[in-house]
This record gives sequence, structure tokens and C-alpha cells, in this order.
Amino acid sequence: MSISDATTFTSDEMASRADMIISDGVDKWYGDFQALKGVTATIKEREVVVVLGPSGSGKSTWIRCINRLEQHQGGRIAVDGVELTNDTRNIEKIRREVGMVFQGFNLFPHITVLDNITLAPIWVRKKPRGEAEQLGRDLLERVGIPEQADKFPGQLSGGQQQRVAIARALAMEPRIMLFDEPTSALDPEMIKEVLDVMKELARSGMTMMVVTHEMGFAREVADRIIFMESGEIVEVGPPEHFFTNPTEDRTKLFLSQIL
Amino acid sequence: MSMSQLDAETTTILAKLDADKALRPDEPSLPVGEWMGKNLFGMGQGSPWAVVRSTLLTVLFGLLALFSYRGFLNFVFSEERRWDAVRTNLRLLFTQAYPDENYTRVWVTVAIVAALAGLSLGLMKVGRGLSMKRIATWCFAWGGLIVVGILLREASALTNADGSIQLDVDKQPIREGFIDKLGERGTWWVLGLVLLVIGSVIWFTLGDLRRRTTFVPAIPFGLVTLGLFISSVWWFNWGNYTFTDDGFTFDPGNKVAGSTQMPWTLIFVVLLVAYLIGQFLLRSERAGTFRGVVNGLWLLAPFVTFWVVLRGPVIDWSHVLSTHLPMALGFIVLGGALLWFLTQPGIGEKGRIIAVALILFALFNWLAAFMGWYPMLQKARLSFLFLGLAAAIAPNFIGDAKQRLKLIYGWVGFMTIFHILVTIINTPSSVEVPTEDFAGGFMITVYVAVFTMIFSFPLGVVLALARTSRLPLFRMLSTVYIEVIRGVPLITLLFFFSVFVNLFLPEGMELSGLAAVTVAFVLFSAAYLAENVRGGLQAIRRGQYEASDALGLTTVQRTMFIVLPQGLRVSIPPLVGQVIATFKETSLLAIVGVFDFLRIARDVIPAQTEFLGVKQENLLFISAVYFIVSYSMSKYSQRLEKQLGVGER
Ligand SMILES: Nc1ncnc2c1ncn2[C@@H]1O[C@H](COP(=O)(O)OP(=O)(O)OP(=O)(O)O)[C@@H](O)[C@H]1O
Ligand SMILES: [Mg+2]
Repeated sequence: MSISDATTFTSDEMASRADMIISDGVDKWYGDFQALKGVTATIKEREVVVVLGPSGSGKSTWIRCINRLEQHQGGRIAVDGVELTNDTRNIEKIRREVGMVFQGFNLFPHITVLDNITLAPIWVRKKPRGEAEQLGRDLLERVGIPEQADKFPGQLSGGQQQRVAIARALAMEPRIMLFDEPTSALDPEMIKEVLDVMKELARSGMTMMVVTHEMGFAREVADRIIFMESGEIVEVGPPEHFFTNPTEDRTKLFLSQIL
Repeated sequence: MSMSQLDAETTTILAKLDADKALRPDEPSLPVGEWMGKNLFGMGQGSPWAVVRSTLLTVLFGLLALFSYRGFLNFVFSEERRWDAVRTNLRLLFTQAYPDENYTRVWVTVAIVAALAGLSLGLMKVGRGLSMKRIATWCFAWGGLIVVGILLREASALTNADGSIQLDVDKQPIREGFIDKLGERGTWWVLGLVLLVIGSVIWFTLGDLRRRTTFVPAIPFGLVTLGLFISSVWWFNWGNYTFTDDGFTFDPGNKVAGSTQMPWTLIFVVLLVAYLIGQFLLRSERAGTFRGVVNGLWLLAPFVTFWVVLRGPVIDWSHVLSTHLPMALGFIVLGGALLWFLTQPGIGEKGRIIAVALILFALFNWLAAFMGWYPMLQKARLSFLFLGLAAAIAPNFIGDAKQRLKLIYGWVGFMTIFHILVTIINTPSSVEVPTEDFAGGFMITVYVAVFTMIFSFPLGVVLALARTSRLPLFRMLSTVYIEVIRGVPLITLLFFFSVFVNLFLPEGMELSGLAAVTVAFVLFSAAYLAENVRGGLQAIRRGQYEASDALGLTTVQRTMFIVLPQGLRVSIPPLVGQVIATFKETSLLAIVGVFDFLRIARDVIPAQTEFLGVKQENLLFISAVYFIVSYSMSKYSQRLEKQLGVGER
């Protein structure tokens, strides 16, 4: 598959793809504060969706509902044909399919980089250790830090840590990757190395849902932008339309503030 | 100079600085005068007030220290002290009335501990060791203390020809003159001056930098020192004082008895050989595995030494072959087969149901015991419970044959050890100890402390996990337990257990007095450990849980691999504090009637006709022993903390 294949779609092509994430009227309350108000969207296979919105608009809450780090209280969420219910077997199944990268890396500080990556393949996917370690080293190669395998996370720079976190998520061979502000905790000179890895991932055809404030990344990589505010989806569209010609006033205001 | 040259040069300088820093832990030394000026007399701060203040404080506290030291020396070395009470009763203090003809068992126990200690020391990842500066400072400090001590201590009393002390009209001892006193303390002079000379030689032959960068490996240094000390039983007249079944021996002008010389020498050899083996294993690639094995042996040692060595069980082989062996094999084989079945891929929900059913059945067996519905060996009840727990963790081992076998091997090994040990406990002992308990003195103090730690630790961890659990029932039960135990004084709990606990137990499940109070210690210590562990668990950031969940780890896996390792690491200092506290708290055993270390010192020795009323000496001696053990543990925990990098995440 060439790069242009993955980054531009005709609407027909899109329609023929499988639905990977379906969010249908999702509601979420924290006490009596409603953080998500009927969020409805569908994300297709191999699609890269960037979620934008002002702080507190519910981006993290939504993305975290998708792998059940938060529990939604209304509406339905289905991932790769499996609906998220209270059934733990479904949750297990979905978590195997969905990798997540956090703003704060959340690496396990007490084990080496390689162990961070192989832990879940060995214990969740039941891979033999040797195979898992080979996979781990390959993934470190892919994110550009093969030489850091035997160090501890605390000995790495922020950018390197985030790349390990990506490798760790990929080691489960997920079909979907969720990113919640993966570069917000990084110094400017390290942002690029992480974004490069993410771009490579997008090109390889991974289905991705990315919360970020990196407009350059959104413009270049996203198939669609979803703009949220106050727990609602305000506007959805391809980047060229979204950045140059937004329809909603709230979107215009947001763009004028950040661009 | 071109830019690139400068770069290369800078790099080498930086590399050198780094290497230097790694080698130089100690600060550069100031000249002695300057150091004292700065640290004792507040000089160099440019303020006369600082000088006055510091000088005043230094003089004040210096005098206080000197007076206390003098008081301490006068007490310890006074003619009135009956140190022979301690020396004669060393065996009583450490093992109480353990029979003479079985004493080899005690030595074997000590030798096992020495062997394990040697292996552990040999396998240790050692740091830089002791710098020459440290050794020199140490020599100065101890040499100085000894010489100052000679000067400070009051002169000895004059004695009559028959050895009695000459008294003046006021019934005060007549003391010799100052010069005589100085002349009399030959051995101490030698020791103090030798230390000062060694210190000076090191200090003045090596330059400051060399002093700080020349290291002596700490463990060999320690072993040589210990070896020298132990060898002194062969060449130094420590005096032979013993108290055995045959009565007292007082022989001050002689070497210690052969029955002391030989065992200690052998034990030292065992220690040394084990250390060398450890060093040899350290070179191999699998040093980490060996370290794990040695740690496992440490865990097993208390049980093995207690039951196999100290009690010398009289095993009824026909009974063992007809009942115990078939039962053990049944659990091992059938249990293993069940676990094999439970780890097959795709077992799914069925596995969980079986595990829960087994655990419920195991718990029901105890209910049945209390109600007297049907009899069952305690061992079988426990085995069912273990099988249930193994079944519960079985899903983690689902996979290929290699993965599944790990659980099976673990089960077989654990069950084998468990059944052997329990069978041995339940057989009568061939060692007849005159008291109710298997031993007394320091030995019982150590055993109670060690078993308390072994059993209270897992209980404490479980309580901590329950208290931080999401399930309200667990949280509530654990909170109630912890708060109740922490709200009751330990001594009450001990009395309660030593007196009443058997009233609550069903028939055939009696606990001996010692076992009952050990249970009390376990329950007590667990509550405190739980709080310490909880502190560690709460220090774990939420992101760690989220990352584990996002990766699909189960709750058990998350707890085992992510939460506990991090939580326990953070709680090492308070945990070791708790272990030390438990060790010291075992002295309450004396109050509930066990002949422990304290009780022998406080009650038993002062009742001997030879040493009627001699108490202070024994108490000071056992305090020193308590201190040495506690201090070593605290030092070890500091080492462990550094090694595990607590605080540097
Ligand atoms: N655990 C919680 N308890 C109560 N309120 C919460 C909780 N988590 C989030 N909220 C609230 O829900 C709203 C949405 O939060 P969310 O973290 O999803 O925003 P966001 O769009 O990710 O913002 P940011 O860009 O700052 O990360 C906010 O108003 C926040 O205060
Ligand atoms: Mg957020």
C-alpha cells in the first residue's frame, strides 16, 4: 500500500470498510456533571481520527470509555464487533484489540524496557518468552531505540519513554490504537520523534484515534477531525475542510484561538 | 586550537571527571585543625556569635558525653559487676536447658545458618567496599575511645591477699593511684594504641586522594576480622566458665572449653567455604538463579532447622507408608492432573467455577471441623485450600506445554515440601527438653520472631490488598480487623491467646502455649505490616493501574507484577522497622511464661545460688545482643533500599 492510498479516501471506499469503533449516543456523568452528552461517531478500519477540542471538553473521557478505563452510563459502544457491557469477557476481548498510549507514558518503572514490552504478550497473549522477546526487540527497532532494551524507563528521555510506550501497546498486536495527548508532556525537541513514529504507524494502516493539540499532525495524517466541546461532538470533517472552511461558529472560535 | 580538538579534549576531561566521581564517594578531607574549627567551633562563618554559640554547645555536649561515657565504663568495669554470671550462663541464655547429649543439633542449626549466610554473602552484588579513609577514621575513633576510656575510668580498688576488696572507714573501696591505674591496663593500652597506629599509618602514608580512592572489599574484610576473633578461642585466655548439666566450672586463667572451640571453628570454616562457593557461583551466568535458590533455602531453613534438626522426630515408618505417603501422592498426582486440565487453552469459565468450588469446599471442611460433622486431617484441609488457590491462579498458566508445566512443577515441589514438613511436625520428638517448649533463651526469641515474620508478612500483604480493594466487603473486613488489632495492646492479645484460645478451638485442634502466643504475634504484626504495605500501595500512581488494564492484564497479574513489586519497594523502610519491632517485642514472651532470652536474664540467672540477685549484668548483655541484631537489620535495609533504588523511579 502506498502512502497516498492510506491518507486519501473516496467516500465510497470508506463506506465499504468495516466499522472498528461505534460510539452511539454515549453519555457519561461524574456525579451530577455530565461529561459526555450523547457522543455519536463511527470509526472505520484503517482510519486515523484526530479528536480536537478545548480543555475539559470530554476528549479524554470519551477515548477512555472505548477501552473501559471509564464506564459509560448511557448509549452503546462497540469495538470491532464486540459490544462493551459489564461482561468481563467482552472487556478482556476488547482490551486485547485496543492499545493505548497515555500523556504520562505510564511505563512500569521497576522493570526493564524490554520487560515492559513483553509482559503483556507473555501473560495475556500467552506467547513463549523467546518469541515475545524477539517481538519486543523488533518493535524497539521500529520505534528507533533498539539499544535501550535493557535499561529502566527512568534512564530514558521523555521522547524515548513515549516510544517505548507505543512499542508496549503494539506488542499486543492491537487492531486499534488510542492516543491521549501523547506529546503534551514532552519537550518541544522530542515531540517530532514521537509524531514520526505515529505517522509511520498511520501509514502502515493502523486504525487510530488520537487526541492531540498538534495541528500539523492533524492536518497531515488525519482522515477525519472530530471537534468536541462541552461533552458533545460539534463538527466532523476531513482536515482540509475543517481547517479552512469550518461551518460551526464554535469551531471557528476554537481555531482562531489556537492557530 | 580548532573546534573539534577542543571537543575531543573536553570529552576526555569530562569522562575523567565522571570516572573520578564514581571512585570518590567521600568528600575531600580538610586538615584536622580546620575541620574542627569549622564543625565544632563555628569558625569560617564570619560571625563571632556563631563561634561563641558553637563553642558553647560543643563544650557542653562534649562534657555530657564524657560524663556518660565515664559512668558507663565505671559501671561495666566495676569490681562489683558479676560478669561471670553472663559468661557462665551463655549456654543457658542462648538455648536454655537444651539437653547436652543433643547439643550437636544446635550446632548443626547454627552451621546451616552460617552456610546460607556464606552463600548469600558470596553471591551479593558488592559495591565499592570500604575506603582507606573510612578504615583510618574508624581506627582513630575506636582507638581514641579506648585510650580516653583508660584515662576516664576510675582506678581499680585495691584487693587483699584473699581477693576481697579493701575498704576505707566509710566502707568505700580504696583505689590505687592514677599512675598505677594507667600502668595496670596493659591489654587495653595495646589495643587502643595499635588501632591508633594503624589509623595513623594509613592516614599519613596515603595522600588524601589515595585514601579516598583505595578500597578494601567489605565482606572479605569482615570475614577476616571475624576469623581473627574466632581464632582467639585457641590462643587467648578468655577464661573457661561453663554451666552444663554437670554443674558450674570457673577457670579464669584458661582458654574456653573444647566444646566451644571446636564448633565455632567448624562453623567459621563452613561460613568461609560457603562464601567461596558463593563467589564461584557469582561468576557463572546464572548467578541470579542461584541467588533465588539461596533465598528460597533461607525461607525453608527455619522450618527445617526447627523440625528436623531441633526436634529430631521419631518417625513411625509403617504409619507414614500406609497413610501419609498415599495421601501426599494423591494430592500431588491428582491435583497435578486437575491443574493440567485447568490450564488447557480454551477452558474458559469452567476453570473459574472449578476453582471457586474447590475453595468453598476447602473452607467448608473447616466449618465441618468446628461443627464436628466429619473428621479430616488438618493437612488434607490445608491441601484442599492450596489446590483451590492453585486452581484460581491456573488461568495465568494457560498456554503451551512449557507454560503449563511451570504450574505443575510448582505444585509438585510445594506439595512435597509441605507434606514432608507437616508430617514431621506431627510426629513426637526424640529430644527431651525439660521445659514445655522445644528450647528457650535467645533461640526461642529468634524462632518466634522469624515465624512471626514469615507468617505475618503474607497475611499483612493480603490485608493491605483487601483494604485497598474495590470490593466493599473486603475493604470493610480488613479495616475492622486492622483497627481492632491496632487498638488493643499486644500484651492483652498475648494473655488472651495464651489463656483462652484453646477454649475457642474445636476438639483435637489444641495449640501449645508457645504456638498460641506466636499466633498472637502473627495477628498483631500483620495488622501493622498491612498499614505499612498500604502506604506503599497508595504511593503507586493511578497511571500504573490504567496502563495494566489497558494492556489487558487480569487483576491478579496486575497485583503480582505491577502493584506489589512497586508497593513493597516503597515500603521497605517501614517494613524493616516493623520486623525490628517484632524482634524486640518477642521479649514480652517472658511475661506470658515462656523462658525466652529476657526471662532467663531477668528471672533464671538471678535465682542461681552462685549468682543470687545478679540482674543488671545480664540485662545489659541481652540489650547489647538485641541492639546488635536490630542494628544489623537496619543496616541491611539501608543497603537493600539503595540496591532497589527506592525513590529514584
Ligand atoms: N474522575 C473525574 N471526576 C469528576 N470529573 C471529572 C473526572 N474526570 C474528568 N472530569 C471532568 O469531565 C470533564 C471532561 O474531562 P476530560 O478529561 O475528558 O477533558 P479533556 O477534553 O480531555 O481535557 P484536556 O484537554 O484538559 O485533557 C472535565 O470538566 C473534567 O473536569
Ligand atoms: Mg485530556
